[in-house]
Amino acid sequence: MRYLRARPQWLVTIAAIIVVVVTWAAATWGGLVSDLLLPTPDELWSGGLDLMLNGYKGYSLGGHIGLSLLRVGLGFGIGTILGTLLGLLMGVSPTIDALAAPFIEFLRPLPQLAYLVLLIVWFGIGETPKIVLLFLAALPVSAVAARDGVRNVSPARVLAAKSLGASRAQIFRHVVLPSALGEIFIGARLSIGIVYATLIAAEMIAGSSGIGWLILDAGRFLRSDYVVAGILLIAVMGIALDRLLILAQHRIVHWAGR
Amino acid sequence: MSDLLIPTRRQLIAGAAGLAAAAALPLRPARAAVPTINIGYFIETKPTMIAKAQGWFEDEAKAKINWIEVASGAQINAGVVGGSIDIGIGIGSSPTAAGLSQGIPYKLIAMLDNIGAAEEMTVRASDNIKSPADFKGKKLATPFGSTSHFRLLGFLKTNGLSLSDVTVLDLPPEQIVAAWARKDIDGAYVWSPAKAKLLADGGEVYKTYDVLDEKGYVIADLIIARDGFAQPHPEAVVGLLKAYGRALDLYTSNPTEASAVVGTAAGVSAQVAEDNLKEYDFVPLKEQLTAKWLGTPGKPGAFAEQLQHTAEFLVEQKSIRKSRDLAVYQKGIDTQYLERAVA
Repeated sequence: MRYLRARPQWLVTIAAIIVVVVTWAAATWGGLVSDLLLPTPDELWSGGLDLMLNGYKGYSLGGHIGLSLLRVGLGFGIGTILGTLLGLLMGVSPTIDALAAPFIEFLRPLPQLAYLVLLIVWFGIGETPKIVLLFLAALPVSAVAARDGVRNVSPARVLAAKSLGASRAQIFRHVVLPSALGEIFIGARLSIGIVYATLIAAEMIAGSSGIGWLILDAGRFLRSDYVVAGILLIAVMGIALDRLLILAQHRIVHWAGR
Repeated sequence: MSDLLIPTRRQLIAGAAGLAAAAALPLRPARAAVPTINIGYFIETKPTMIAKAQGWFEDEAKAKINWIEVASGAQINAGVVGGSIDIGIGIGSSPTAAGLSQGIPYKLIAMLDNIGAAEEMTVRASDNIKSPADFKGKKLATPFGSTSHFRLLGFLKTNGLSLSDVTVLDLPPEQIVAAWARKDIDGAYVWSPAKAKLLADGGEVYKTYDVLDEKGYVIADLIIARDGFAQPHPEAVVGLLKAYGRALDLYTSNPTEASAVVGTAAGVSAQVAEDNLKEYDFVPLKEQLTAKWLGTPGKPGAFAEQLQHTAEFLVEQKSIRKSRDLAVYQKGIDTQYLERAVA
């Protein structure tokens, strides 16, 4: 046991990945699983290569990735900024909280697909409904995170600042905001996850571009090679986005956890 | 503890005998009892809805039926691969051609209709679109993966138009109607009732089907049967086709009564059902057994070539990996059930 425990963690990770890949290769090459359900490694390789070199139905692979990132970026960016601002206001002012809370609480658990058709009727079939959908996914999560962040500021710190003669604006700027930033970032990471998960739904709207649409469209004809290549790509993009946020968090809230 | 877990030799022998008996069991009663048939179907204005509403499918197949509503032929393909759909009614020729090319274990056993003019390009009359060149810069919508999508791409290809000349959007029929009302699209390739709604709302037909049919872009709605179901239960499959034959006879002899039943089953008025039904060319079962369509067992008809051509086109579109030899599509058509159903 001690011998095993001494092994570095990454070795276990790599061993797990190797086991999955070997099982997959054996199952598909061995003919145990039809290539309609899962591609063989060489089919996946050539499918992925084909996507990279020749693109997919009207756009290059970079074009699909770029459009997806643009939608996620705009929806998440606008949603998180406005959501955080709203959340901060809600945290500071009980009146604004009472005003906005029912709508935020209503929107937060709502599955995005529920209002997909309405968005098409209201905003048409261009980029607007897609970005609005992602925006609505990001907004409530970041609003709630920012509000809770403000509420969880230790009253002792606020009182201390007050007794030192700080104005309301100064307390907000130097005490409340820095304390809430940690939760705001946690909210942002939650929200990028939700936005990213909503991307496929967004690209269902009159799609012909984006990685989410590519996966849906390839799935229509059981093109498992493109589907799996798309899934791997979308997963890597998701991990990269999350890591970017963690990086930003460490730079901006460098004092957190110390 | 341990002596409970390790079986004795006697227990082992008894267990092995039990397993062998269990393995042998399904061999005998397979023909006797037909299990519940899982049928994937579309809610549409077709005579099949009469047979469904009247319970004729159950009567003729002598089995219970589990009706699974699908939204696309792709779902039928996926259902057959996963074993959850035994029969697919109304699947289009392009998903069928894709499925046969990919080796999905099913056979085309009969046709519902030759789609002909029923799926057609509708354009905004005020856009004044009169020639293929007028389509440049226009936005067209169609449900991707459908027979309409196949025809639309065929129209673009045969007229030297590319996807950079024309924007083609993927929308389901009801959303096409919404996008049309908002003037977000200039045209659509779709079927009724969506097509009828566009025509009533400032649309006009831009005829493409006659030329496309001649150039090998024939589209049809079909019935498929999963091998794993049809082979052990041929009687049930014949029964299902007999039920459809009865419904088709009723529609031919008494279209008004038939339309009323179809309308109720599909959730539209009898008038709408009648108008929609008129757009399709429902090929009589006997005629399906001629060389022009499916042919007979051992003598496959011309439709196999249509399926192959469709598959080749789908390869160009990157929808499927490869098309197959004509023989694969000929073997993919199994008319033995149909032949017995009309006998």
